[in-house]
Amino acid sequence: MDKNLQEEFTQIIKFEPPLYKQRYQFVKDLVEKYKPKKVADLGCADCSLLWMLKFCSCIEVLAGLDICANVMKEKMHTLSPLPVDYLQPSERSLTVTLHHGSVAHKDPCMLGFDLVTCIELIEHLEESELKKFPEVVFGFMAPSIVVISTPNSEFNSLLPRVMLYRHPDHKFEWSQAEFQSWALETARCYDYSVEFTGVGHPPTGMEKVGFCTQIGVFVRKYPQTGEPVQSEQPMEAVYKTVFKAVYPSLKDEKYLQTAVINEVIFTAQIIKHRLMSKREEYSDDPERKSKFQPSTDCFSDYLGKLVVEKDMEPFVSGNEVYIPLATIFSFPKVNRLCGTFEKLRKLIAGKVTLSRDGSAVMFNIEHENEEN
Amino acid sequence: ETTGLQVSSGLQDLSLRDRGGRRRDFHDLGVNTRQAMVHVQESKTGFSGKMVKLTTNHFRLTSRPQWALYQYHVGYSPEMEARRLRSALLFQHEETIGKTHAFDGSILFLPKKLESKVTELFSRTRNGEDVKITVTLTNELPPTSPTCLQFYNIIFRRLLKMLNLQQIGRNYYNPSDPVSIPNHRLMVWLGFTSSILQYEENIMLCADVSHKVLRGETVLDTMHSLHSQVGEERFRDTCAKELIGLIVLTKYNNRTYRIDDIDWDNNPKGTFRKSDGSEMSFVEYYKKQYNIEISDWMQPVLISQIKRRRGNIQGSVALIPELCSLTGLTDKMRNDFSMMKDLAIHTRLPPEQRQRELGRLLNYIQKDDNVQKELRNWGLSFDYKSVSFTGRVVQGEKIFQSGAMFDYNPQFADWTKETRGVPLIRSVPMDSWLLIYTRRNYDVANTLLQSLFKVTPSMGIRMNKPNMIEVDDRTEAYLRVLQQRVTPDINIVVCILSSSRKDKYDAIKKYLCTDCPIPSQCVLARTLSKPQTIMTVATKIALQMNCKMGGELWSVEIPLKQVMIVGIDCYHDTVSGKQSIAGFVASLNQTVTRWFSRCVVQSRGQELVDGIKACLQTALRNWSKWNKCLPSRIFVYRDGVGDGQLNTLVNYEVPQFLDCLKSIGTDYSPRLTVIVVKKRVGARFFAEIGGGLKNPPPGTVVDTVVTRPEWYDFFIVSQAVKNGCVAPTHYNVIYDTSQLKPDHVQRLTYKLCHMYYNWSGIIRVPAPCQYAHKLAFLVGQSIHREPNLMLSDRLYYL
Repeated sequence: MDKNLQEEFTQIIKFEPPLYKQRYQFVKDLVEKYKPKKVADLGCADCSLLWMLKFCSCIEVLAGLDICANVMKEKMHTLSPLPVDYLQPSERSLTVTLHHGSVAHKDPCMLGFDLVTCIELIEHLEESELKKFPEVVFGFMAPSIVVISTPNSEFNSLLPRVMLYRHPDHKFEWSQAEFQSWALETARCYDYSVEFTGVGHPPTGMEKVGFCTQIGVFVRKYPQTGEPVQSEQPMEAVYKTVFKAVYPSLKDEKYLQTAVINEVIFTAQIIKHRLMSKREEYSDDPERKSKFQPSTDCFSDYLGKLVVEKDMEPFVSGNEVYIPLATIFSFPKVNRLCGTFEKLRKLIAGKVTLSRDGSAVMFNIEHENEEN
Repeated sequence: ETTGLQVSSGLQDLSLRDRGGRRRDFHDLGVNTRQAMVHVQESKTGFSGKMVKLTTNHFRLTSRPQWALYQYHVGYSPEMEARRLRSALLFQHEETIGKTHAFDGSILFLPKKLESKVTELFSRTRNGEDVKITVTLTNELPPTSPTCLQFYNIIFRRLLKMLNLQQIGRNYYNPSDPVSIPNHRLMVWLGFTSSILQYEENIMLCADVSHKVLRGETVLDTMHSLHSQVGEERFRDTCAKELIGLIVLTKYNNRTYRIDDIDWDNNPKGTFRKSDGSEMSFVEYYKKQYNIEISDWMQPVLISQIKRRRGNIQGSVALIPELCSLTGLTDKMRNDFSMMKDLAIHTRLPPEQRQRELGRLLNYIQKDDNVQKELRNWGLSFDYKSVSFTGRVVQGEKIFQSGAMFDYNPQFADWTKETRGVPLIRSVPMDSWLLIYTRRNYDVANTLLQSLFKVTPSMGIRMNKPNMIEVDDRTEAYLRVLQQRVTPDINIVVCILSSSRKDKYDAIKKYLCTDCPIPSQCVLARTLSKPQTIMTVATKIALQMNCKMGGELWSVEIPLKQVMIVGIDCYHDTVSGKQSIAGFVASLNQTVTRWFSRCVVQSRGQELVDGIKACLQTALRNWSKWNKCLPSRIFVYRDGVGDGQLNTLVNYEVPQFLDCLKSIGTDYSPRLTVIVVKKRVGARFFAEIGGGLKNPPPGTVVDTVVTRPEWYDFFIVSQAVKNGCVAPTHYNVIYDTSQLKPDHVQRLTYKLCHMYYNWSGIIRVPAPCQYAHKLAFLVGQSIHREPNLMLSDRLYYL
């Protein structure tokens, strides 16, 4: 390489977006493509990749593993559910777990994953650990896809101030050939196919150097054999769980029930309110046309269309207001939550006051206006 | 293992650094007002009353002997900007600095002393840059230093975070066991408030149960339902009124924002400039960053102002309504009786239950290994049993009404029954008055009239038949009648309203408080519709009307002569006008039964105090008109002082009061006492009665243990509550030349809590504060400008 040219690049190489972001984006794109349900990040460090992945709606199980508990703990709270996750539980379920341990050890908690990512991990491994690594990841965990990224040592000559390795903790940095031969051998051994790519493009005219970060994407050739194979002797857990967060989800009956009850009562309240104010203030409701058209289920619009079937109409009898369950069920939000009318009945049983025949939500309005 | 926890947020909040600008000092640390008051140097405690055994929600913080906190300055060469990088580089040297540390990017706290005063460390960045870090000892802090106190608070927040509690605003909440109230789409989270401060003899943690009301709907949901309620025309105004000032949580991060404005010209397709200078649309950004699809592309955008502490840079954040959830209650919700009733079931915990919940928190702290380890590493621990001590219950007051004297049942703190049917001290006749109602409420109007005729004679109120006027149920109709029929000889105007629609009420009040100053009484038809309660309601209305016309109901014995009592409270109109209103009331007579009032309407940013000076001047003029001399003592009860504003009050407001007095005349130097009244305090007291915990009885005074050594302060529990825990009121005497004993100041304060005429019982604050509050609220909510001074000697704002 021309010495002067090299000097020049040494001054100006700067990745935009920063290289670490490009690596994360690469993983994110992969997730978008393959839609894995269970993803583990080995060497998750400060959990920033996990944090990005928790927003991917296909993922239901996220796990992180690191040899250093402190660095994980520093930001692990960012993986906790947010208040809003409790207020509006989502459809999908999500569990995030952090384990403290080494990639050189097998632990049953790492079984059954669809995607395992090892971003800038292997170069931190001691020789003995690196030796055990393929057996643990490809042999034992055996996910459908493994992503491994590591520095490309050929690129180092373009980086300012890099003397030996890019980070003091790196045990080695491989050339493209070194990485590829290791990867191909590993893939062959465990029946995976591997494709090579990378992030951080080399400057024009220096393409031979390769990507700044080299990446191998391994895809398992043999199909999933149903249940993960258990070894003969029962496996012992060797990792220590340092963090676990179960996100509220509508898949969980408890949250679903709360959501349905809330929605049913709230819907019924609005219908009741409408009914009562119609009875009281008959004069004060001119027709309104509006430009602010809500795109989702809006109440006012919906109520207009409601008077189709007679037996669905809410009514007042003495001190009681009756709002037929069928009416409530016809509201998109309630409908979507419950799916079937039977499910609706089951979920609200005993939690919402119903008419004697169980066909309507009942409110007593006797004490409504007691004070003020 | 407990190291490396993020401390930065806490450090930032508390601003350990002296940045020269405003410091956020919620606890008013370092405002030492007691030292200037010689007569309370030795003791600030009272003596009268019966002893009562009390426990509180305070817990002693203990540290090992000779404990100190070591403060270091950390410098980088070359200079490193990013705080995260600075921490990462420093913590490469944990073997030197230890695993226990708190670091905000430039100040480092350690529980141990490093070997040398200056330690040099060398780190390398990811780019291979070598950095020299210089760690210099700057301070060795004793446990009671203000910095240490701030530090304890930071550490305690760390602990709460370690317990997996969620931070919302300043407090921490437990999300895993919420209470939902589907009727109103509310959710309540149980949490804790905490503060660690230097109290009289010990540093203590004051912890209390806190409830966070969250709403299970997004701002967009709320907008939709507002739209269907009010229609297109009033939609934007209503949104502004309902939403501005509320705090929202977002779907994607754990921050709270205050809605300051709504940008109707923008929508999610609009773009914003990212920190790297590129433009991006909101839709794109949320998709890319958080994988969130915004479904409604027509919604407006919410604006939240952010004050960056560093260098006071002001900026604003745009938020998408669909991604924001509402927290807290709006004024409208607070006025919703049934909602508040449903909420109270969950939030009003009786004493025993409250202490039990608190015990649970302490139990978590005690049982959690990580938390205990963190505490141990810092050399700190808590007394897990709350502090107990004795308080005093001062004697109940005698209520005087037209020569008769009454005792009240101290347990209920109420004399409604005792004084029923007794003539008032001063009754104002209703010779000429108007009764305005809609056709639908004709019967109701008659019922009210009949009932008033029944209840007024025994009170000594002379009442003629009113002019009965029927109107259409429209605001303009009411106003037209007022314009045509209200003449200066009218004593009072009574309007029966068919709904609690605010605009009608506002219009009536505005007209009759400014353009045409005549007392007025609005009554909701619904209130009069129950035959069982009509007599009670009529009695209350008769009393209220009498006060509004300048009547007097009862009195208590006030032993001080020539005294003027002043009450000040503020109302901040966050919604429309961005105004602040200070209500000012001052007593006019010896018995403290008549009140002069004025108010100051100030736009945002202006200091209230200039207006208050003018108020004090007119108050003194009026007092001298009534008493033929100037008062020799003035007591100012100042309510509406926010956390951290004490300094301003002491250094700016009090001197202005003194200036004002000086300006009256060179030979005039009355004794002045200024007392800051605070209703929102974390302290709770429980009386140990019969083996259980009960609310302390009204009249309980606390002036030891949980008060602050640098202040002349005390607590009084003056009111009685039916359910939940009673909240003590904190009184801080910040200026006092009265030479009165603390006991007398306490007694006077308690007496004044008996003098609020809208409630025949004892209230939470001295009557002048409540009057000032009422006035400020009326002006801030309905009138928006200073009412006509013709009304200033009456309680027209009740």
